[in-house]
Amino acid sequence: MSGSYDGFGRVSRRIGKLFRGVLFASTLAGILTLAVLLVYVANDAFQPLTADPGWHLVFLLTLVVPTLATGWLSYRRSYGTLATGLLGIVMPGIAALYAGGLAALFIDVIPTLVWLSFVIALAIPAGVIVALRRTDRSVPFLAELSAVLGVTVGSLLVVPGLVQGLPTVPADWMVLVLTLGLPEAFLLGRWIEGRWGRRDGWIAGAAILVGSAVGGVVGMVSGFGAVPGVALTLFALVPTGLYAAIVVRERPDRRIGLLLPAVIVVGMVAGELLVGALGFAGPESWVDWSFLTSTTQSGDPRSVGIYSGIVGTILLMFVVAAIAVPAGVGAAVYLEEYAPNTRFTRIIDVNISNLAGVPSVVYGLLGLGLFVRYGGQPTGTLLVGGATLALLVFPIVIISAREAIRAVPDSARQASYGMGATRWQTVKNVVLPRAFPGILTGTILALSRAIGETAPLLVIGAAQVFGVPDSWTSTIGAMPLQLYVWASTYASPAFYTTVLAAGIVVLLTAMLSMNSIAIYVRNHYEQR
Amino acid sequence: MSGDGATDGLTRRTQNSSRELLAKAFFFGCAALSVATTLSIIGLLVYEAAKFFTISAPLLGIDGPTATLTEFFTGSEWGLQGPNLGVMPLVAVTLMVTIGSGLIAIPLGVATALYLSEYASERARSYLKPALEILAGVPSIIYGIFAVAYITPVLDTLFGVDGLFNVASACIVVGIMILPMVASVSEDAMQAVPDDLRQAGYGMGATKYDVSTGIVVPAAASGIFSSFILALSRAIGETMAVTLAGGSLARSFDPTSLASYLSLFDPDSYLEPGMTMTAAMIQLLTGDVTGGGLAYRSLFAVGLVLFVITLGMNVLSDVIARRYQEDYQ
Repeated sequence: MSGSYDGFGRVSRRIGKLFRGVLFASTLAGILTLAVLLVYVANDAFQPLTADPGWHLVFLLTLVVPTLATGWLSYRRSYGTLATGLLGIVMPGIAALYAGGLAALFIDVIPTLVWLSFVIALAIPAGVIVALRRTDRSVPFLAELSAVLGVTVGSLLVVPGLVQGLPTVPADWMVLVLTLGLPEAFLLGRWIEGRWGRRDGWIAGAAILVGSAVGGVVGMVSGFGAVPGVALTLFALVPTGLYAAIVVRERPDRRIGLLLPAVIVVGMVAGELLVGALGFAGPESWVDWSFLTSTTQSGDPRSVGIYSGIVGTILLMFVVAAIAVPAGVGAAVYLEEYAPNTRFTRIIDVNISNLAGVPSVVYGLLGLGLFVRYGGQPTGTLLVGGATLALLVFPIVIISAREAIRAVPDSARQASYGMGATRWQTVKNVVLPRAFPGILTGTILALSRAIGETAPLLVIGAAQVFGVPDSWTSTIGAMPLQLYVWASTYASPAFYTTVLAAGIVVLLTAMLSMNSIAIYVRNHYEQR
Repeated sequence: MSGDGATDGLTRRTQNSSRELLAKAFFFGCAALSVATTLSIIGLLVYEAAKFFTISAPLLGIDGPTATLTEFFTGSEWGLQGPNLGVMPLVAVTLMVTIGSGLIAIPLGVATALYLSEYASERARSYLKPALEILAGVPSIIYGIFAVAYITPVLDTLFGVDGLFNVASACIVVGIMILPMVASVSEDAMQAVPDDLRQAGYGMGATKYDVSTGIVVPAAASGIFSSFILALSRAIGETMAVTLAGGSLARSFDPTSLASYLSLFDPDSYLEPGMTMTAAMIQLLTGDVTGGGLAYRSLFAVGLVLFVITLGMNVLSDVIARRYQEDYQ
């Protein structure tokens, strides 16, 4: 391409190879830098070198070697077998993480009685809706709408007070069995009934309900706590058992893959027992139980904990999802299904891509001005923080939801319209169900972006020293905010390579778990 | 798009039922919310920043300390004590971070894009692309901690820096953060170059190296260039990493002297602490910002400058990508 004829016909492989090598090295440069940094963080957080050599040896023999051997065997059978095994260990891990978060909410934030009263209050209008559906469709839409709205408002006004005024109240864990276990048993029972038959559905439903109650009792007796017992049973043990049952029943060729999680669990327990018996000291990890559950704020690295940050982040994510997802999906539906090709539509279009490029700190200013200064809200509350982060991820949700909706083939819509469906019926029955996996993936990725945002929360005045929130108006913390407080208030090397490393591990674990769910959902539905 | 005639015809009879109208109104409201967000950002920033300047503050009934436009844009010091309200010292450090991170992200990003688009196998791409996305997904507060805890000590051994904070470590982490943006936008542009051009090059006897550098890169130049601007605007808006890494000590910078501009390119000045616009905003929050005092108003003034710069760059990158795109259809 040099334009001269001197080089024509003479080709040197060396330049091409060198160039390719340089490009490859550049590609790896960023990734490797991050990898090295993460290794340093992991080393500082877990301090593996402080453990006895004997401790390492025991776990090498009981855990690492058997795991690698089983994994290799599974891989030799087929890649799918190994994937089955890996999913069998990753899924319960992530499920346990979220079940723990849920248990934390019910222990520290939401009084179970209040929860119960609102569940009952909302169950009444749900019942009305079902009853209206069952009748002949002669009810005019507006009458139906006003009936449902009236019942909802009325029951929200009356029922919580009634329930909370009851003379005898059930124990915390019983409320969870009732409000979470019963619906889960019903839904999963119905699902299994459709899959394997009526008898199995009933058995599964009953087993889930009884199992959650047993989980509560076992948790209470063992001192682990009744509420975590129920939560772990419902959201970690039940899905794990269901997964194992599906693999065993429907994929006999991959059954052997389940050996991997079994080997890992047995290896961990055996290693723990052996280490205890032989008296080998484990590593002085900074990520330990007290770090995860302590709310102390002080200058002493060993006493501080990230608990209030974890609870704050979970609550914030609920608020963000509740605001950003309906609004974002609604905007995407309008732009893809309704919008006429006008100037206004094009303005919205350009506007969304520009919104996605606005620095996050500016969204903080928006929240500060809009909600705090002119909206009259107190600084740094859950609602203000959640609404601000929701505005931040709003364009991201719109963009990903539009992509998912656009991927729904037009023939599906045309068939629906051809059958006489209205626009809303087509959106509700055809477009949204088919776009659902894509929307879900995009939503989770948007939330995992929101989980790490610090600057907007700082700007709206989220507290620098905070506890576990106990009402809508108490100031809220978040994991990244907690990291900033440690990094700025206690800025010393003693904090940077100890507690902060542990905090990074916790925050990244939360993010990675969300991302892996998103990737799983995407891959699962892409295969269809 | 379902604005086609057939669908309109099929739904004409039902489109005015109350259920349909309600659904449409809800979806329209959601879409309009995005415009409302933009308008509130602009309105709020302009209105609150107007209270900061001497020229407009009396009109809005503010009688606290204010800054003249000259003071704001030509003052050489920043600090609420004084008060010295020149924004240029903050802009200068922001510019340093942009230059430094660009020096890292632009060459690496273009090389990455070229490798992924022209050289990598399908299998390698399927591993490398998600790995690169992770670089952009790590929260910026974590990059800030990386900079202080792990990168500054390395810089200290290599060049000798004083204290925990310096601009160079901020440049490095921000460079890593924006690298995926350069790489993915550039790669999209390179992938859009039609294969015919490459085949023509090979037909002329060109090597892969010739085709990559002589055909693909020039043909994708508009997209590559717009990726630079997009990524640099991300670097300018970056907050937590530069706040932690650069420290919160405002430098002095005299916008009227040539020497101070030259110092932006002096490697030694990168080894000292410096406060960017975004870091200054975070520092302002330590004061009382709810009562509408000077801290609150200067927060919005700096925010407005930041918003105008990043919005301008985003629009510019869009214009470049559209206007100068070669059309091969």
